[in-house]
Amino acid sequence: MNIIKHIQHSGLTLLALFILFTSCNKLNTDPTPIAIPGNPSGSTLAQTLAATASDSLYNRLVIRSGVLTATPATITDAGQRYTMFVPDNNVMKAFINALSGGAVPIGSPDAVFSGFITANIPVASAAGIVSYNIVPQALPTSSFPTSFPNLQYPTILNPAPSLSALLRLTTFPSKRGAITWVNNVPLAAADAIASNGIIHHTAGIALPPTASLWSRISTDPDMTYFKAAVQRGDSGTAAASTLQAGLDNIGANLTVFVPSDSAMRAALTGLIAQGLIAQGVPAGIALAQAGALAATPAVFSNPLLYTALTPTLVKGIAVYHILGTRAFTVNLPTTAASFKTLLTSAVPTHPGVSIQATFTGPVVTAATVKGVANATPSIIFINSQSSSDQNATNGVLHKIDQVLLPQ
Amino acid sequence: MKKHPRYLALLLIVFTFTITATAQTVTVTGNVKNSSNKDAVPAVSVTIKGSSSGTFTDEKGDFKVVTAQKLPITLIISSIGFETKEMLVTSASSPVQVDFVPASSLGTEVVVSASRVPQRILESPVSIERISAANIRNSPAASYYDVLANLKGVDVVTSSLTFKTPSTRGFSASGNTRLNQLVDGMDNQAPGLNFSVGGVVGLTELDVDNIELLPGASSALYGPGGMTGTILINSKNPFKYQGLSFQIKEGIMNTDSRFRSLSPYHNWSVRWAEKVSDRFAFKIGMELVAAKDWLGYDKRNYSRTGTNGKIIDGDRATDPNYDGINTYGDETTIDIRSNVFPGIAASAPFLKGFLDTLNGGRPMNVSRTGYNENEAVNPNTLNYKLSGALHYKLSAKTEAILAGHWGTGSTVYTGSERYSLRNLKIGQYKFEINNPNWMLRAYTTQEDAGESYNATVTTRLVNEAWKPSGGATGWFSQYSQAYLGARLNGATDFNAQTAARAAADVGRPSPTSDQFRTLFDRVRSVPISKGGGLFLDKTNLYMVEGQANLSPVTKNVADIIIGANYKRYLLNSEGTLFADSTGKIGINEFGAYMQASRSLFNDVIKLSLSGRYDKNQNFKGRFTPRATMVVKVADNNNIRFSYQQAYRFPSTQQQWINLNIGSNTQLIGGNKSFISYYNLKTTPTYELSATSPTTVNTTAYGFPDSKPESVTTYEMGYKGLVGKNLLIDAYGYYGEYKDFIYRTLVIQPTSGNVNDVVTALANNVPASNVGRIFSVPANTTSKVKTYGFGLSIDYRLPLGFIVSGNVSSDNLKDAGGFRASFSTPKYRTNFSLANNGFGKGKRIGFNVTWRWQDSFYYDGDFGNGDIPAMHTLDAQVSYKVPNTKVGLKLGANNLLNQYYVNAIGNSMVGGLYYVAFAYNVF
Repeated sequence: MNIIKHIQHSGLTLLALFILFTSCNKLNTDPTPIAIPGNPSGSTLAQTLAATASDSLYNRLVIRSGVLTATPATITDAGQRYTMFVPDNNVMKAFINALSGGAVPIGSPDAVFSGFITANIPVASAAGIVSYNIVPQALPTSSFPTSFPNLQYPTILNPAPSLSALLRLTTFPSKRGAITWVNNVPLAAADAIASNGIIHHTAGIALPPTASLWSRISTDPDMTYFKAAVQRGDSGTAAASTLQAGLDNIGANLTVFVPSDSAMRAALTGLIAQGLIAQGVPAGIALAQAGALAATPAVFSNPLLYTALTPTLVKGIAVYHILGTRAFTVNLPTTAASFKTLLTSAVPTHPGVSIQATFTGPVVTAATVKGVANATPSIIFINSQSSSDQNATNGVLHKIDQVLLPQ
Repeated sequence: MKKHPRYLALLLIVFTFTITATAQTVTVTGNVKNSSNKDAVPAVSVTIKGSSSGTFTDEKGDFKVVTAQKLPITLIISSIGFETKEMLVTSASSPVQVDFVPASSLGTEVVVSASRVPQRILESPVSIERISAANIRNSPAASYYDVLANLKGVDVVTSSLTFKTPSTRGFSASGNTRLNQLVDGMDNQAPGLNFSVGGVVGLTELDVDNIELLPGASSALYGPGGMTGTILINSKNPFKYQGLSFQIKEGIMNTDSRFRSLSPYHNWSVRWAEKVSDRFAFKIGMELVAAKDWLGYDKRNYSRTGTNGKIIDGDRATDPNYDGINTYGDETTIDIRSNVFPGIAASAPFLKGFLDTLNGGRPMNVSRTGYNENEAVNPNTLNYKLSGALHYKLSAKTEAILAGHWGTGSTVYTGSERYSLRNLKIGQYKFEINNPNWMLRAYTTQEDAGESYNATVTTRLVNEAWKPSGGATGWFSQYSQAYLGARLNGATDFNAQTAARAAADVGRPSPTSDQFRTLFDRVRSVPISKGGGLFLDKTNLYMVEGQANLSPVTKNVADIIIGANYKRYLLNSEGTLFADSTGKIGINEFGAYMQASRSLFNDVIKLSLSGRYDKNQNFKGRFTPRATMVVKVADNNNIRFSYQQAYRFPSTQQQWINLNIGSNTQLIGGNKSFISYYNLKTTPTYELSATSPTTVNTTAYGFPDSKPESVTTYEMGYKGLVGKNLLIDAYGYYGEYKDFIYRTLVIQPTSGNVNDVVTALANNVPASNVGRIFSVPANTTSKVKTYGFGLSIDYRLPLGFIVSGNVSSDNLKDAGGFRASFSTPKYRTNFSLANNGFGKGKRIGFNVTWRWQDSFYYDGDFGNGDIPAMHTLDAQVSYKVPNTKVGLKLGANNLLNQYYVNAIGNSMVGGLYYVAFAYNVF
């Protein structure tokens, strides 16, 4: 009996130990997933736009564009993320008023504007505008770039799907202080949240560019000298490596300060005259001869001047007018600051050009760019319709009143 | 009680002396039977009182003593587990019938390893633990190696079912180079792979006579390496243990199908020993273990820099850079922002700005999709051991032994990676002549890694073989294109990553497909040196040693033993493991030792002094002393004091390894030739902080000379028998390591500029992206200290019940600033209740053992992280079938099937339940 008791006691002791200690071994083998934010509830961008009365005209444009029914789905898909730049009805009315050449007066009922959109704006144009104003990521203004240079954000507009499935036109949201823009268009109201993205209301319409920088330069009647200069600078260079090809490359992202023809003529006249005077030609005669030689863009193809206007010299001056990034005037600094130009690739220590802009609210009213060897700054012709902020597929172009001299 | 020493002295003599009848003689025969159940008792010592003549009973309990003495004589019949009996023999005409009474007693064992001479365990001058064949027989453990885990102060790291590495006093690891394992006197560390192969190659279970464990420093007696302990496993002498024995264990594991489906466990072993004549005996043994192995199943996410790292949040679905601990192939990672996007931006410049904005300009690390352990590692473990020995008595006291242990099998080992040891073959062969007063031994270890491969590297290469990571159409390019496509369509980062992985993984071989298996088999068959995952290691070890006991001459002054050894490693991996692509590398070591001991004050105090000198051709010679004192405070109660030094030369791998483990990381040895080979000084390298992953030392690393490591240990202990029923053993130790060997990471910046590494680390860019990482052995300049204690109590209850318990603790101190890899719980404890025989005929036995260990931080090259506290419960019941020599056992390891793991990335060990059928197992 004693033995049995012993066994019982021992057994009971062991049993007690089990109960005390035989809780499960805590074996950690499973990974801890990282919390992935779910899709927020609420209306999608498409639903939000459709439900906002003051955006009805842009919503009409969106419907017209076919974006809502395209595949793969975009702003209707709650699982995706987009940023839309949306002009409200007032902006749309001004746009249509201008587009119709005044045929649709500003005071017309909304239905008239709406009807105009449906009847008069081609689907492709509507799709271009709407797609160009959709960025495939959620970009609150707090994440807008605040310094120069700009970052380019692809839109969902692919101008040449056959070239590359990843090709996209880009926009340039930016922020300085409290003021925000997309390209050079100020935002009127920002950061309206939808379930799948953000709506920023714009004070104008950021229109998609359709042509390259070279296309503009080579066809503008007041840029004939710059065009000829680019071509002179490219002579002797393989086609694929020319500056012209660069200005035509859809992958580029540049800012070009194009001197007007008169600015180019004046600079060339001075340059040639100096050369003649150095050869002993009297100043008056030299000036007259120089003026005659520089009278047309053919000056760059004049064999008499080949030794004076070498491709290297001309190209050096041309690339001194080009920044390797895209700067709308609203992105320019309010106090003069230097920015590198493409000349840096040949002369790495070159300080570049000095740029300054004057703002009234979100709008630039004056801006200058100055070459190192220029006595005075060159004025950027502020006129967003034709001479400044000329947005191309691969850059932006500003016309200026002097040739920028690097040395 | 007082008779014990005398009986024991006789017993000792019998253990080591046998006689051969050479004169005109009397032959006494007899038979020994268990008094409680009338079973024959084999391997019982039968000696003639007053002489050194004697023999052992065979498997039928029969014995035959031939003596020149005239009758009457007195026979002393003794065996552990029975009461020693004296029988007067007056006539040789009829056999002597001995009724042998079973008895359990405590503290009666004799140990050899503590002083290299036999002595009572109670009088050992240093801490020692002993496991007898009876302990193994009565243990629930499915493998005898597992019995070690229940001793105090022992940790066992389980790499897989058949790959277990015991450690004492800290620094646990798969393949512990600070603890020696000697099997029949042969060091069983694989000379090239640097892990002890006892579980895979050593003795078969039926041939194990005893295991002695010396925790603590023991170089002074056993040579370099015994820093934290030495395990000595001794086989059964065929003169003593005779006959055919076999055991069949059949079991089941993975019973809950948590990690893999229910699978069988087979363990069959057989031993046959024959005493052919009084001069010649032989034995042969085989053991086969086959099972579906435990599986490494740690799916947690691991962030690594070379061999440093930590567990982080994230899984395959939510972390694009997921690198699961036990998933392989996903170690291949790059920052697609800095490595792939620029290429895309070059051909699609309009995207450059967009690419610049992604992820806020931070790195976007992406890993390839991996495969699970059971897909990359042979899921079947197989182990086949074959061993045999020929014993020949040159004279009554001198025995020559020719022995071999050979083993092959497939198992899994964790080093800097998980290695699938496939058809590994290791043979140990020795020739030995021993005599009570001298011993000569020569042996060799022949290693052949077979088809072993690095699972991690192999799986990464399988991914490359299916779809290369780099290039314009490579996996990462496809991933990046798909990612950008999705992002440009408005997908969130998470959705785009998911879509990108799906796109890049199109056509990925399913792990169960023939395509995968074909690819995998192809890659694992190509040597590492030729861009595959295969080891070609055929490193060998040769050793000659001798010992002489001068006591017969010197006993008036002191008992003196002297010994010496010569050891030669021949590294041969054809460039797949060592820097030996141009030829084999030899490493020579020699050593000599001497020990003097003397009893004072009527045996109240026993002193011993030992010293050992060793020299390795690549390192300066080293002397290590040891001094011990045992004070007898009462009969069977002794207090021991010891001062011991131990040291080790850097292992063969720490000298000569040259192994690319992926992630731009190279393990190299400390040999100076690596410095010029890798231009480590001309193109400077910089040490990465082990404790702060984002820090690199900007002063060039100096590559100080590699030195042997030494430890000085002070220990005090008590072992005593209180009454007859309570055995207490306690120890406390303090050790100081000098020139502690560890590994550290240095980086050779690709640009040559360390600031690029600083910037990369600050930006969370993997260091391996900006430079080549080398893991190099180093010695600490400060001392590393360890201390701890252990206490065990065995209490004998009536009827042979014994309750035992122990608690032990090991601690590390002053180990800041480097990775000491202590990896040991602060506390652990074992409790057991056992009985070797009770009930009618004392035929029923049982054993219940419970073990608990504290949580601890495991610090290994394969993975670092917290190991939770764990407990296991093992149990067995056994029954001896009357008149058949048959024993039946029902056993359970980890009875409650509580999965545990004792090293990061190692196999999850669950319950193993078996029945064993044993015939003539003694």
